[in-house]
Order: sequence, then structure tokens, then C-alpha cells
Amino acid sequence: MVELAARLAGIVGERRVMLRAGELRTYESDGLPGYRSTPSLAVFPGTRDETIAVVKALAASHTSFVARGAGTGLSGGALADNVVLLGLHRLKRIVAIDGDNARAVVEPGVVNALLTAAASAYGLHYAPDPSSQSACTIGGNVAENAGGPHCLKYGVTLNHVIALTVLLPDGEVVTLGNPDGESEGYDLLGAFVGSEGCFGVVLDATIRLERNPQAVRTLLADFASVDGAAHAVSDIIAAGIVAAAMEMMDNAAIQVVEASIYAAGYPVDAAAILLIELDGAAAGLDDDVARVAQFCKAAGARAVRVAADPADRARLWQGRKKAFGAMGRVSPHLVVQDAVVPRTRLPQVLADIHHIGVRHGVNVCNVFHAGDGNLHPNIGYDANDADEAARVHAAMGEIMQVCIDAGGTITGEHGVGLDKLPYMDSLFTPDTLGAMCALRSVFDPERRANPGKVVPVHRCREWLAAPAARAGHPR
Amino acid sequence: MTPGVSADVAALADRVRSAHANGAPLRVTGAGTWLDGGQPCVAADHLELAALTGIVAYEPGDLTLTVLAATPLSAIQALTASEGQWLTMDPHGSPDGTIGATVSTASSGPLASAYGTPRDHVLGCEFVTGTGDVVRGGGRVVKNVAGFDLVRLVTGAWGTLGAITEITVRLRAKPEQDVSLAVATLSGAVADVTNGVREWSHRSAFRPLAMELLSPSLARRLTGHSEELLLVRIGGNSTHARAAVDAVSSLGTARDIGHGVWSQLAQAEPKGALVFRVSALPSRIGSLFSTASALAEELGGYAHATVTRGIVRCVVPPPSEPQAVDYLCGQLSALSRDVTVAGERMSAPLWAAVRRMRSTDALSLRVRSTFDPGRILNPGILGDA
Repeated sequence: MVELAARLAGIVGERRVMLRAGELRTYESDGLPGYRSTPSLAVFPGTRDETIAVVKALAASHTSFVARGAGTGLSGGALADNVVLLGLHRLKRIVAIDGDNARAVVEPGVVNALLTAAASAYGLHYAPDPSSQSACTIGGNVAENAGGPHCLKYGVTLNHVIALTVLLPDGEVVTLGNPDGESEGYDLLGAFVGSEGCFGVVLDATIRLERNPQAVRTLLADFASVDGAAHAVSDIIAAGIVAAAMEMMDNAAIQVVEASIYAAGYPVDAAAILLIELDGAAAGLDDDVARVAQFCKAAGARAVRVAADPADRARLWQGRKKAFGAMGRVSPHLVVQDAVVPRTRLPQVLADIHHIGVRHGVNVCNVFHAGDGNLHPNIGYDANDADEAARVHAAMGEIMQVCIDAGGTITGEHGVGLDKLPYMDSLFTPDTLGAMCALRSVFDPERRANPGKVVPVHRCREWLAAPAARAGHPR
Repeated sequence: MTPGVSADVAALADRVRSAHANGAPLRVTGAGTWLDGGQPCVAADHLELAALTGIVAYEPGDLTLTVLAATPLSAIQALTASEGQWLTMDPHGSPDGTIGATVSTASSGPLASAYGTPRDHVLGCEFVTGTGDVVRGGGRVVKNVAGFDLVRLVTGAWGTLGAITEITVRLRAKPEQDVSLAVATLSGAVADVTNGVREWSHRSAFRPLAMELLSPSLARRLTGHSEELLLVRIGGNSTHARAAVDAVSSLGTARDIGHGVWSQLAQAEPKGALVFRVSALPSRIGSLFSTASALAEELGGYAHATVTRGIVRCVVPPPSEPQAVDYLCGQLSALSRDVTVAGERMSAPLWAAVRRMRSTDALSLRVRSTFDPGRILNPGILGDA
């Protein structure tokens, strides 16, 4: 490892290679602190050429590595367990913004919110808005196919990537997608986005920007029951109203936010609130606002109010976006799930989740993308309390099973990483997992990029059928 | 039998497994309406999917639909319309074409301006790989990042990575108002007219569901108008729609033309016509449409531009003389120097000319040999891949 460190220092400079345990501890977890592991070495290239040289050096020594942006992920996906950590946050140039074609070319370390800040001069913004957007990077967003509240109307990361320049784990540089016209042939771009760092490293991304809407309205609806809020969501969507965002928070989440510095003025006695945003042309927008308010009231809302001005709107959103941060104040550790269920199953699934929490004596908060059926049940706890940790773990397992049984999936935007790995085989057949393993091998035949993540290799049919393949496989 | 796999699909998988063992190529066939696409696919036997029709699951409140792959688009539209919903995929061709073919070819139409292509609609699918494995990618929910994206991979792969047997798609609620306009009296050079439409779409607060600019002979065929004509489709509530119609009227004389024009456009091409698309950075649409529509009209055909996507679709009668074929091949090659040329329905020499413009990359070849190592599914249909 010392020898490799010297070789990498020759590329990026000594200051940009970390080998000491104390330094490496900074990188022992991501946004999900329940998982910890330490890289063997960390390297931080500052340019595209340095990144290519580093990855080629790793390839030459058949060394595994994990690419990492800001480390804000919520699935343990950016953890390097005794392998090399390749930090990309120094590659933070916005290479170009083409206002006429509403697109930008960015390096992987560009922070999500800074892209929108730069695009605002052109009347444009980057639509996917994960809660971590003030810190997370575009490279990480591409790796996870990140979402966010406004993906309800505008689509997820995948719908905003036009082309990628990708560094394959063997050091080859390829272009995926076509920046200058229709994309022909296999959709390798579509396969790459969301591959969680297992297919290669993004060197630059050609990003689709959205034009800023002419008008925006943000509504806060206060419900006496979770069920009523869930039904309002379904009714609004069924009426053909395309909201930009429809977020729900239950009482437990409201209490935590209102007790924090992010207090947004949510009604603390509400069983649930909906935060609904409508945007687009000003003409007709208030008609939709009136209809949304009607649907909420018909479903049992006690009150509906529209944000009075941009400051009011920002405050309403801050409570939602900083909810996970607010939970950090209450307990030292937090588990966040990311299941998606069919929208019509939301009322039943939320009731089941509540009962599971009660049965295990844990406090489940729900703050989530109701319009997409994308749940984020989260539980604050103390990982050093073995009994509490075991109850949290058991409750989360049951919650996931309820979501799967409802016809849902285990992750809508956070990725599988390490955290959802145990659930993959309840969702996919051995043949399907085998196909995923095979696709990974197309991009990374040695499976050195982010080893041990996403697909539980030992559940694939090829693994089950060929014991010889297991010899020497990193678990 | 594998749990969750129907007897029909298990039989197809057996068929593919034995074809793989015998090295016997198969042509994947649904309704058969795409078979005159003319791609140089070499296979003596067909893998018939036509029996795979029907609705597997439809929950209107979820706005998702799961169907067997050979279900006709028209059947899906009839079913969803009864709930005030629609599948916003409108590929060119007969409405009796199947959803399997639409997804396999990633074919799209005017509504892609607002709703995207099949790649943006498909939430999950089941397919039989070239080794007879039955794979189920994605799911039935609208947001899903569990595992690697096999759904995107097979969408638009023309059946070469697997025969798609079942598809789950995202539906949309129909807008309260849905207005189709024809905008005439656009005057000036074609490039200027086109750029004017594009600039309007940038300036405007409205986002039409579709905007297609028709070349003169297509406009004549559909409406009797004999100059470039713009078709615009607007959705939204009535206040929104009224204001949008007013805004569109700043481009020329707008009249309500009814939705029939879209199905006329979808089925405008004469039998045996050659169809290809050219595309570039959207800001170049003016010169692109000017050049491509002039070529199409010169050859006795027509063209239409999806203005906001930077795509021009050209339809020309099949050249009968060898020199005419050579001429068209030469024109396409010249175009391909700085725009992307894609074939839709062409003759063998033209496919060969288009294939020469772009060699298949090594990753794509590796994907093919991973999912279909014997190259038995639709061999040749994507050139080298």
C-alpha cells in the first residue's frame, strides 16, 4: 500500500494522498452513520488528467476503489472497506453553461445547489433537488440517480443527463449518450446513471437544465389524519393536476422540526401536513391552487394556506428540507428508509408502519415524497444501546417487507449501497440478479469499482451454480 | 417452472434456449407491423410473441399499467381513456402496433416534446435473454433505483438483448382541456420560421404538449395549406388553455384543428416510403429543418420537425433508379458529417450507408455478447451489435 501511495503521490502530489489512520477516519462513514469502515488509502485528484492517471495506476495493480463525492449518500454506498477511496470533490469546474440550449457541462465534484446558482443568470435551474443539495455533488447524484421533492413533475437525475464522459475502471475513457442529437444504439447512459459507482467514474456530465417557471405557489395543508392527507394526494393526481412537488410529514416529524432551529411554523397538533407546490404559467395557476385546496378540504384538511411571499415559501421548504438535520438534534444516530409503494397503498402502508413502530417501541417519523409514493420512514436511536439498535433493526426489516408486499420497491432515490443489499433477493429473482452482475462485468470485468455493493453476488444464479467462482471473491 | 413466470413465457424461454443451443437465429415478432422496417435482419425462424396480449394489472389511482408485450397501443388507449387517463406514447405508424415494438424500438412521436420517449415511460419489464433466462427489471412504482437499470438497457435495443414479454408503464391523467391548433401564415425563409418557433417556445411561459412544424407538402396532405404549418397541442385547465391559445396566436393565424390531425400525421407515410431522422443540438433546428425538408421535398417526400427536441423526420418515396439510391446515400453521408442520422424504415443499401456512419462501440458489443452470446436474437438488425 505504501508503494501504491508513492505512485499516486507522484500523480497528485503528496498532500493529496492520505494513508494515516487518523486522517482516513474522516471518510469512515457517509450520510448514514450506522455503517463505518475505513479506506486503506485516500487519493484526491485535482484534474481530469490526474483522475485518469490515478485510475490507470489502480488498474495496473488490480486495486479496488470507491469513488466518493461529498459523502452525503444515505445507503452506505460511498464507504471504502479497506480499499482505495477516490475523492472527486476537487473536480468542481462548471465547464460551460449553454443558455440557448438549456444545458451545462460540469465536472463530477460540482455541488448541486451551486449549479442552480450559476444557471440562474440564464433563467434556468437544475431540477433534481435532494435534501442534501447544498452539499451533494453532481457526480454522486449521477451515481445514485438522485431524486428530490421536485422530481414529481420534472423527473429524476436520469431525466436530466444528456451525456456523460466516463472513465471505466480499466482506465479507458468513453462517451455515453449523444450531446448533439438523438442517442442511437443501446442506452448505456441509462444503464450507467444509478449504477452507484460500480460501472466507472464520471469525468464530466452534460446536464439538462429547466427554465424557471413564470409563477410558483406553495400550499401548506393541515390534516387531522394521515389517511386524509394520503387520500388528498391521490385525488389531486387523479384530477390531472401536475404538482411540482407533494410532500408529506407526519406528526412525529413535525414535532422534531418545530422544536429545532428549522422551525417552519407547521401546526404542531396536525396528524400530517402536505406541502404542495404548483408552478408554471401564471395564467390558470390560481385555478389549480383553488382546486388543490378544495381536494385537501374534501379529504379532511383543517386548514390550507398559500405562502404569502418568497420568504414565507422558503421557510415552509426549509422545515421539509432540513428535517433529517433536525432529527440529528434528537438522537445520535438515524436510519432512513427509502421505499416506494404504489400511491393507492399509502394509507395502509403508513398505518402498518405506525403499528410496527409501536410494537417495537421505536419512534418512526415519516417525511416523504407523497406524490411519488416514495416513503422515508426514519428512526432516531442510539447505536451504542444494543437493545435499542436491535429493535430499530427489526422494525426497519418489517417496514421494508410491508413495502415490498404492497408491490413496492426498496429504494426510490438513495440507492442500494450496503444498507439495502439484504433486501435485493426479496425483490429480484436469481436470474435477474445474475443479469445485473453480468451488466456490471461489461463495464468492470474485474469488479474493482465499489466492490461489495448493490447486487448481493452470492444470490446470483451464476454464483449459486458455480462454487469455483467463489474462490477469492471479496465478500 | 420458475415461480412468477407464465406458461407462455416459460415456453418462449425454452424455445430461445434450444435456439441458443443450436445456434439458430430468431426474429422476434409481435404484430408484425414493423417487419417492413427493412433492417437487414437474418433469421429463418420467428419467435412469435403475438399471443402475449392482455392487461396484467391496471390500478387507475396509481397511474400505472402492466400489460403483455403484444398488446396493441389502441387497446391500451381505449382502456385508459375510460378512466380519464392516457399513455403518452404516440409513435408513428398504425395504432394497432404493439407496446412491445414501441418499447423495443424506443419509438416516439410529437408528445415526446412534453412527456419524453418510451425510456421515460417504462417502469419495469420482463424479457427473455438470448440464453433463455427470464429477467424482470424495474417494478410497478413510479420511482425506483433498486439494482442496475436493465429496463433502460432493453428499451430501444430492438430485441437484441432479450425479447420483451411484459411491460409496466407510467400513465398520465388527461388534462382538463386538450386543444390542437394549426398555425398558418408563418412567413419568411424556412430557417427563420423554424427559429422563430423555437424562440417563442423559449420566451413563452407555456409548455405545449407537442409542437411539430410541417413542410409544405405534408401541410397540404393533412390540411390543404400549402406552406409550412405549425401544429401545436395545448393541455391544462381552461384559463391556462385560453391564455396559451392567445400566446400561440402571436406566431400566426391559429385555428382549432381537432386531434384527428395527430393520427393523420402518425399514419401519413405512404406504404414502402423510406423514413429517417436527423437531429442536432436544438439551437441548430433552423438550418437543420431547412436543409432536411428541402432534401425530402426535392425527392418527392416531406419532413416535419419536433422543434424543441432538435429532430427532423423525413419521409421520401423509395428511389427506383440505382442513381437515386446513390444520391440519397450521398446526401445522408454528407448530412451525417455534422448531424446525427438515424434510420427508421429504409432499404438495404440505405441501412448499409447509415451503418457506415457510426461503428458500434466496444461496450455495446460486450453488452450484446453478455445478454445474447450466440447472437441469435434479431441478428443484424442493429448492424454490428
